[in-house]
Amino acid sequence: MKKKWQPTLIRTGIRIPLILWTLAVLYPIIWMFIGSFKSNAEIYANPWGLPETFNIQNFADAWNNYNIDTSVFNSAIVTVLGMALTLVLALPTAYALERLRFRGSNILFTVYISAMMIPMVLGWIPLFFLLMDFGLLDSIIGLSIVYAISQLPFSIFVLTSFMGTIPKELEESASMDGMSPYGILFKIIAPLSTTAIITVSIMNAIQFWNEYFMALIFLNTREKYTLGLAIDFISSEAQYTNAWGTLFASLTIAIIPVIILYAIFQKRIAKGMTEGAIKG
Amino acid sequence: MVQSKKQKNLFLAFCLVPTFILFAIFTLYPLFSGLYYSFFDWSGSSSNSEFIGLDNYRRLISDAIIPQTIWHDYFLVITKVFGIMILAIFFAVALTQLKIKEAPFYRVVFFFPNIMSVVVIGILWTFIYNPSLGLVNSGLEFIGLESWTRPWLGDQDWALPSLVLPSVWAGIGLFMLLLIGGISNVSKSYYEAAEIDGANQWQQFWKITLPLVWPQIKISILYIVITTLNGSFIIVQIMTGGGPNNSTHVMGSYLYQQAFVQYNFGYGATIGVMILILSLLTVLILQFFMKREKVQY
Repeated sequence: MKKKWQPTLIRTGIRIPLILWTLAVLYPIIWMFIGSFKSNAEIYANPWGLPETFNIQNFADAWNNYNIDTSVFNSAIVTVLGMALTLVLALPTAYALERLRFRGSNILFTVYISAMMIPMVLGWIPLFFLLMDFGLLDSIIGLSIVYAISQLPFSIFVLTSFMGTIPKELEESASMDGMSPYGILFKIIAPLSTTAIITVSIMNAIQFWNEYFMALIFLNTREKYTLGLAIDFISSEAQYTNAWGTLFASLTIAIIPVIILYAIFQKRIAKGMTEGAIKG
Repeated sequence: MVQSKKQKNLFLAFCLVPTFILFAIFTLYPLFSGLYYSFFDWSGSSSNSEFIGLDNYRRLISDAIIPQTIWHDYFLVITKVFGIMILAIFFAVALTQLKIKEAPFYRVVFFFPNIMSVVVIGILWTFIYNPSLGLVNSGLEFIGLESWTRPWLGDQDWALPSLVLPSVWAGIGLFMLLLIGGISNVSKSYYEAAEIDGANQWQQFWKITLPLVWPQIKISILYIVITTLNGSFIIVQIMTGGGPNNSTHVMGSYLYQQAFVQYNFGYGATIGVMILILSLLTVLILQFFMKREKVQY
């Protein structure tokens, strides 16, 4: 008899920490959503409760008076440009590293992969002056390039390991039929790697959309601010203006695209991130 | 093969050269020239950069804030490794070994903070710690522990420990999934055999699960250490900016302050070299100590 009820008891007991952690994760996020619909008076009077009426004044304020519209636009450009550039740069290299044996291919692969473990802060100081010389400082284009290069190692890593699973016969027969290596890369390998390409692109997009520190260093005028910087700016101003509702509204604006992506691609994102970590 | 050697090389160059040139310009060159600049007194414009040999390194050794920043970094490393690993292992085991119907729900929820922006995480938690509005202090008041309330992030002794919780909160999901991956690869027959031998859940965990997922545990620890040493300054910058009174400055945030706020670029680069050396050394030492024999049954 003992055997029968014991697992059930353990299972019920184990649910308590699981449920507590679920609350710990969800509550601050839900609270942020709720806070974005509250007036300032309500936030002070009842910081953790529900609003009396849902008003969207905070969103309008953030959008019109705090430059969030420009920042959303800037972040979107950085994300899309960075994503496209990473792909254009990573795909041919990944193919060459995985399929074309050449002298030094292992060394080159190691160079790219070890860049994932190197703290880039050291490089940011010279990079700052390099961008200045190129006229790419305080520029959305410049930031997109920096982003794209920063995600190259990860993207090359995921793409090569995926291409390793594509059977070689297809390329061989295409080559027999006289297809050029360019054709093989773009007409055979690229479509077959769609899964990996999508995974890599989603991961990079989230990364670029969320990024804060490089933007902090490489951008300085408010019209160029990406979302992270704009929110940080509102947050530090809120100490004096107490515009907490506006702050929550802009946090909500920043997080919604990520939630949508996660809702659609949850499995891929989780897989992409664990794979990226395993390389270590 | 019809293509000539020359065509083959041309294709190879097409694949590799443009990418590598950009990578060299934007990643390799800055790293090496960072090393180089650490020997200069340099406040930005090229006209007033002066070679000063090891002076920056002497300054680094005598700078009283540097040992604090190093300690703060390693404090975060150690507390994060323990905090994240204990909870991640617990959740991973709970979600795989005990047949819980809604396990996928927990997985999806626990992982989500991993893809949230550090800005959002930092600001949300700044609020949770807010002395008058925050959840922590209201909670303490609610359960009658008013004497425990404090301005968490404004308190010299509590600001740094307060940064641990958001980092653990944001990190657990990824490592939980990594470990779940490891545990589900462990063959069911081990557990069945252990069951027959009368081993209880606890013994099964120590004797089967833990040794067999050791590779995943090792990877997780290394990954937490690397990402903390290379990136802890981001949450510090957002939540405290290194204050109050330098009590939360980590190496990276101190570098940012020296280089990009006070324009001591040469000295900033020297701090960067220190971060590089410390993080590589730490990884090497860790790998040496964790080289436990792979278990096979």
